[in-house]
Amino acid sequence: MATAEPAVSPPPASSPSEGRYGEVFDRGYAHYTGERLGRRQAFRSLIVYSMKRSMGIRKSWTAKILPFFLYLAAIIPVIVMIGLTALVPQANMASYPNYFLAIFTIVGIFVAAVAPEMLCVDRRERTLPLYFARAITRFDYVLAKVLATAILTMTLSVVPVVILWLGRQLVAESPGQAMRANVEDLGKVVLVGSLIALVLGTAGLVISSLTDRRIVAVAIIVVGFLILTATANIGYELLGEEAEWARYLLLISPSDLFGSLIYHLFTDSQSENGLISDAEFSLRFKLLYMLGFVVVGILFIRWRYAPKD
Amino acid sequence: MAPIIEVHGLRKTYRSVVALDGIDLTLPRAAIGLLGANGAGKTTLIRTLLGLARPDRGNARVVGLDTRTQGVQVREHVGYMPEADALPQGTTAADFVGHMAEMSGLPARAARQRAADVLYQVGLGEERYRLIKGFSTGMRQRVKLAQAIVHDPQLVFLDEPTAGMDPQGRDAMLELVERIYRSLGIAVVFSSHILEDIERVCDHVVIIDGGRVVTEQPLGDLGTEPGELIVRVEGDVDAFKRILTQRGYPLSRGRLDGNPDEFVVHMEDERVYDVIRDAAVDAGVALRSLRSRSRSLEDLYLGNVGVPREVTSGNG
Repeated sequence: MATAEPAVSPPPASSPSEGRYGEVFDRGYAHYTGERLGRRQAFRSLIVYSMKRSMGIRKSWTAKILPFFLYLAAIIPVIVMIGLTALVPQANMASYPNYFLAIFTIVGIFVAAVAPEMLCVDRRERTLPLYFARAITRFDYVLAKVLATAILTMTLSVVPVVILWLGRQLVAESPGQAMRANVEDLGKVVLVGSLIALVLGTAGLVISSLTDRRIVAVAIIVVGFLILTATANIGYELLGEEAEWARYLLLISPSDLFGSLIYHLFTDSQSENGLISDAEFSLRFKLLYMLGFVVVGILFIRWRYAPKD
Repeated sequence: MAPIIEVHGLRKTYRSVVALDGIDLTLPRAAIGLLGANGAGKTTLIRTLLGLARPDRGNARVVGLDTRTQGVQVREHVGYMPEADALPQGTTAADFVGHMAEMSGLPARAARQRAADVLYQVGLGEERYRLIKGFSTGMRQRVKLAQAIVHDPQLVFLDEPTAGMDPQGRDAMLELVERIYRSLGIAVVFSSHILEDIERVCDHVVIIDGGRVVTEQPLGDLGTEPGELIVRVEGDVDAFKRILTQRGYPLSRGRLDGNPDEFVVHMEDERVYDVIRDAAVDAGVALRSLRSRSRSLEDLYLGNVGVPREVTSGNG
């Protein structure tokens, strides 16, 4: 190719408003002289892009069906509960434990749909070298994926329940007073919702980091949650009275673990705490266990993404 | 001008395989050809310079930054086009290239603008809102090139950018690569096992073999080095060879295409013409042709490495 004149075009001398009608501009390559935001921007962009892709944004309509129905399934109970509370205030239908237990499976399905999309697709389409050749570290990549999954999951596990909290206060006789009186409940629902998102999200990503195939990861997450719950419950029923260690089996069951946490936080009575309350784990132990699980999960995923040399 | 790449004693092993064996390099801001057979260590060198692979020993500076301690900053100012088909299927070229610009630290708005401009530059202006999964191999290569330069890097690593392309597509890709350096002013490291591609695009070459740099020099210097004479004779060839050797001009080798009557004689000085003429007369052979040629990249490669099958002088 003959050496061309540099195509670097200087900015137009006149503003667009001064240009003549029909004037042709040279769209030559211009060097970028603007702001460079570095790693922070790359990290943020990866979170946003991953969330958009997982929700099927700018993809075909079929990719949006499942998230749409899951959101619908999460928000309908909120509307029903608020409506019933307004109509029958004494019934106390809009309890937070009821709501969390109602949507736990929905959140699980949501995680099973979202987490594989976060990790498997990049590996399957071999875009990882492009990401790792950018202004991020491998740990940034993993952390961005965990945060993207957790933030998306929180739109199901936190946002509706915050709306429920707000609805409960608004149907009270004195909404302002009710809000002030129940602000502690708001903190609790945000805490539980965030922990559900973090723990389930991390578990989903750990499984997704093991395979390139999205559908395989979805199946393992769904079946895995069911098997863990069944194993924990059957094991505890069979061995609980004979072996002291059997109570630790319950920690592998996400539904029992969160069921226990929810009742621990929202009810005065411990009688309804389910199996795991029988195992006598303290609130602090449960919180530390969950946070420890998230940290170990992140480290595991980082290990999966370590360079193979 | 400060070197764009400085490497000192770089060594990288994969278990028992030595991928890079004590590489030392100081490369200027230029279009640099990284030439070597498959498995010579080209991709490992690029990965190490990007900070993606950790060397066992040695250090490297790219665009003035230490790859070991400033990997993120290096990658902010460097572009990379991998050899593998590394593109998402279900997204548009504009979305993906814009996202890659943001991943290099550009603000969202500037990233979108740059993506549109760069896709236009690589000839995908009209197709930028189409899904990548519908693109041909050539178009996909262009998207890969666009994402490598969208953030206006100081240096771009292109790993076998013409791999798998038909002659027309390859020609267009080489034009683009040449333009990146000559018109856009972005330094290029062009990794390839195709001599012709490097000779066409680059002005500096690094030849790697078995994880070692066997030679590194500007391609322009080849033309000024002493050339060779290709001699074709008919008759008692052995007698002709013997006489020439006795007179201090040994025949170095036959030609690449293996014509048994053709020989290469190093042209040390102008006297060689007279010596060949006299030797032909004394040996009683007919001198059929005598032509000179300057050193080419092929000669440089063959002189340093030999004739590995993987390095090709054609279109690969």
